[in-house]
Amino acid sequence: MGRLLGTRSADLVVVLFGVSIITFLMIRLIPGDAVEIMLGANSEVTEEAVAALRHRLGLDQPLISQYLFWLGGVFRGDLGQSVWTGAPVGGEILGRIGVTIELTVLSLGMAIIVGFPAGCMMAYIRGTIGDYVIRLATIIGVTIPSFWLGIVLIFVFFKLAPSFPSIGYVPFREDPLGNLARMILPTVALGLPIVASVSRIVRSTMLDALNQDYIRTARAKGLTEVGVVFGHALRNAAIPAVTNIGIMAGYLFGGAIVVEQVFALPGLGRLILGAIAERNYPLIQAAILVVTGGFVIINFLIDVLYMIIDPRVSQR
Amino acid sequence: MRKPVFLAAAAFAAVPLAVSAQTLELATDQSPAGLDPHVATAFSTKLINDSIYEGLTAIDSGLRVVPGLAESWTVSDDQRTYVFKLRQGVAFHNGEAFDAADVVFSIKRVLDEQTGSPIASRFNLITDVGANDAGDVQITLSDPFAPFLGQLASLHIVPADYVEGGGDLQRTAVGTGPFSFDEWVPDTSILLTANAGYWDDGLPKLDGVKFNIVPEATTRQVGLSTNVYQLLPNIDASIALSVQDQPDVKVLKAMDLSYSLVGMNTTVPPFDDPKVREALNYAIDRNAIAQAAYFGEAVPAGPVSPALVEWAVPTEQFGCYAHDPEKAKALLAEAGHTEPVSFTLKALGSLQLVVDISQVVQAQLNQAGFDVDLDVQELGVFVQDWKASNFQAFASLNGGNVDPDGYFYRTFRTGGSTNVFKYTNAEVDSWLDTARISGDAAERKSLYDNVQNTLACQGPIAHLNYGTLFTATRSDVEGYELVADRSLRYLRQTAVAQ
Amino acid sequence: MTTAATNLQATRSSNWRLLKRHPLLAIGLILVGTQLIFAFFAPLLSPYDPVGQDIVARLQGPSGAHWLGTDKFGRDVFSRIIFGYRSSLIVSGLSVLIALLIGGWLGVIAAYYQGVADRIIMRLMDILFAFPIILLAIGIIAVLGPRQGTTAVAIGIVYMPIFARLLRGPALVIAESEYVRAAKAIGLGDLAIIFRHVIPNLTSVILVQASLSLSTAILVEASLSFLGIGTQPPTPSLGLMLSEGRSFLTLSPWTSIFSGLAILFASLGFNLLGDALRDTLDPRLRGER
Repeated sequence: MGRLLGTRSADLVVVLFGVSIITFLMIRLIPGDAVEIMLGANSEVTEEAVAALRHRLGLDQPLISQYLFWLGGVFRGDLGQSVWTGAPVGGEILGRIGVTIELTVLSLGMAIIVGFPAGCMMAYIRGTIGDYVIRLATIIGVTIPSFWLGIVLIFVFFKLAPSFPSIGYVPFREDPLGNLARMILPTVALGLPIVASVSRIVRSTMLDALNQDYIRTARAKGLTEVGVVFGHALRNAAIPAVTNIGIMAGYLFGGAIVVEQVFALPGLGRLILGAIAERNYPLIQAAILVVTGGFVIINFLIDVLYMIIDPRVSQR
Repeated sequence: MRKPVFLAAAAFAAVPLAVSAQTLELATDQSPAGLDPHVATAFSTKLINDSIYEGLTAIDSGLRVVPGLAESWTVSDDQRTYVFKLRQGVAFHNGEAFDAADVVFSIKRVLDEQTGSPIASRFNLITDVGANDAGDVQITLSDPFAPFLGQLASLHIVPADYVEGGGDLQRTAVGTGPFSFDEWVPDTSILLTANAGYWDDGLPKLDGVKFNIVPEATTRQVGLSTNVYQLLPNIDASIALSVQDQPDVKVLKAMDLSYSLVGMNTTVPPFDDPKVREALNYAIDRNAIAQAAYFGEAVPAGPVSPALVEWAVPTEQFGCYAHDPEKAKALLAEAGHTEPVSFTLKALGSLQLVVDISQVVQAQLNQAGFDVDLDVQELGVFVQDWKASNFQAFASLNGGNVDPDGYFYRTFRTGGSTNVFKYTNAEVDSWLDTARISGDAAERKSLYDNVQNTLACQGPIAHLNYGTLFTATRSDVEGYELVADRSLRYLRQTAVAQ
Repeated sequence: MTTAATNLQATRSSNWRLLKRHPLLAIGLILVGTQLIFAFFAPLLSPYDPVGQDIVARLQGPSGAHWLGTDKFGRDVFSRIIFGYRSSLIVSGLSVLIALLIGGWLGVIAAYYQGVADRIIMRLMDILFAFPIILLAIGIIAVLGPRQGTTAVAIGIVYMPIFARLLRGPALVIAESEYVRAAKAIGLGDLAIIFRHVIPNLTSVILVQASLSLSTAILVEASLSFLGIGTQPPTPSLGLMLSEGRSFLTLSPWTSIFSGLAILFASLGFNLLGDALRDTLDPRLRGER
């Protein structure tokens, strides 16, 4: 297992390295650079001026030296500076990541709180009309476009409850309740598909578990059906749901980009979209490294966890 | 919060207080492209900088030149020497005193090629700038330049010592204006706070202004309706239409100096042929565009805005402004085209209005002998293609200028700095050169009439429409006035009633 | 003749029983079938030209003339949705095909050859997989320029690791099975073994995943168009319609509501189909995403 852990860690480094190269090349292949956007379409700029500004920003260096320079900075703990604000990008990312993490954690929390009971319920009433209806509802939940849901929620709340604070962002440390109130709609928009998918996973693993021998034993011992479902089956069914959290984290971040855009939340997703539009290379580079790094590390930890829970995995 | 003792005293003295000082929440859709007033000249930057910086002169809501940081000025008889008497006791937000050295530094900074200032060409007739013994600023021009005073309003004065000491204006802003730069959260908000020591007593009335960057139109609308935001500046007609019937919301309008246009590259087919350019003008129905994309809130555009009453030639006088698809087809046939003339129209995708207009234009042209492929581009890509003249035609929105020269010379003069169309016409060149340095208003008028008549139908730009500029505010927002050049300079006298 | 008819009868009734036993499959089939019909026969079925403008009739609600109302240019929303299904299916179908052909193929050869090839391929896939889907797609489209084709390529690249990872597992089992070993022993070439023995055994996994991926690809395409970087106007696209309609929610919510529902139905259909296929073809896979 130790050796496996070693190879996995090495893979992790390789993946992050690959991500940084792809990001670096990709953003520089996008037509237009920060200088052109800074100067705007309505400008009267000479070629010399463009060259001067480009030189000031270090954009006239060969790609490979730009990359090595950046990489060297990363190893020294320096992610570079924002082209636009001049602030260290590390600080800019830290200032924004909280919102995205809050949104992600709230959505995940909602998924677990609502998804588990719903999944158990569906397993319990399997085969009835109610089961089909809830299953259909969860599939609709998975396929509903979150950006559409977000807009519809804003609109509906505006029509029905105009005093409900559906938009605007208040930092948690300034006004915890106001912050949470404004996070409700984004959380619902982002988390609904996850609720649906958690409940589906729980349902099917519960169904498998309910057919296992130990459950039959528990039933034979005279435990109530509810006791069986919640006491025994659920504990075993939880594992696949938890191991899926890694995948969900990836989905949630992708979804957060659009949801933050709709609700005007100052999160990492909007930071990255803005940085791409403004060709703020150091910021894109660092933000994508942070996001993918987080994703890869979460999945790595889950792999490790899984190995500990289920030693058979190590042999795969 | 500032000067609490003084404020408390004032509150007692002036009971009841008519307005409350507070921070105005404003929502706009675009992030500023850097803050350096000499480098970043996009609307999104100007919106913010107009409250932070000031020029020697200023433009008021009637588009007249009024004093700014210069209290008064004199012009020599040969109209080549200007002497500006500066306002006394003015300080920059960082405490540095404002004087002639700052003005000289700012002008030289704009003219310096190293700065790469897009507005440099507006001032390229300046041969000398310096301070005289009385602390006045004297500027000498190589030739008389009628629009000079108006143009100076766009040259913001920055603190010399701060910039020379390594301060980076692209990232922070230090001016003399009514509001000072406080905090910039990228893509989220920019907070300006009131400049307590502003030279114009009693201004600004607000404690501060927060520019919230809200890309989603629905969110902005709902935000205004629920008083999360109190002001939505420079919005499209569609949004104005959606919010105007909301309770406690009022919509202000003014003629916009910005115009929509189709620009054509005169060096590549099909628009290298003036006949094809004329055909395009006949094929376009400007009134229909006004209806479809502006919800009726627009007028057909000639090369000069109808807001500039003394300069504009009425569009009724341009033959090709009569919508006539058959005439367009005939012109195309004359130009030797037997098949529909196909070309790619690149549209500036960051403005919904432009995307809308280009769809209407595409539909109109396709019914009049053209075959248009629409390519909606992201801002960065669009700017790159635009600069490199890498287009057959593009659709965009251009900011207006208060003087014809400010627009014509750089756009239509052979080799002009924004003549990305590579347009060249010896006659137009000579008219522009003469009008630029003529001190005779009547002569300038007749020359610019010639220019307009020549450009309207066969020029490289098909001017489409001047729209109406809308701003929506909460009903209790007082004192805000719309300026046709989209400036937010009236924020300084804006207040929120209690 | 009689036997054929009887057989047909029998198949019909057994199909009918299958559908009755799986009502969700029935719903999925109906939704997918309707979309396919819309997509194939769009020009015949749409009552109006999807890009034809009629300003006088703009922003109307549903009526006899315009079943689902009109958008801001007075274009018929129903006609645009029918054509929207066409572009939506073309983009998502192409993208899944690209992902399956390249990603799936890479997964299969990784499993078949193992060792260094396996490690290199799967690390490459891990690298792609580490990017949030939307973000990588945005980056690729930004590089290639926003066109329908590039959207399909972008989503295809983003989905490659999903197919590679999914097919590698079962392919590994098959590659180590007795009959593949036997095939190698009698000197059959690698390609022949892969095509004759490995891939045919993966059909059900491929079918299920393709259907589920179509469902999400439709959503990704819509999200990209919504952000303004997918399908370009005036081409009718469901995501773009939603994006254009949202400015008018307070004036005329119809365009937004109907185009949103259209996206939902498109995605829902393929998801139900994939789900039901999984249940019927391979009960062991049931419940996994």
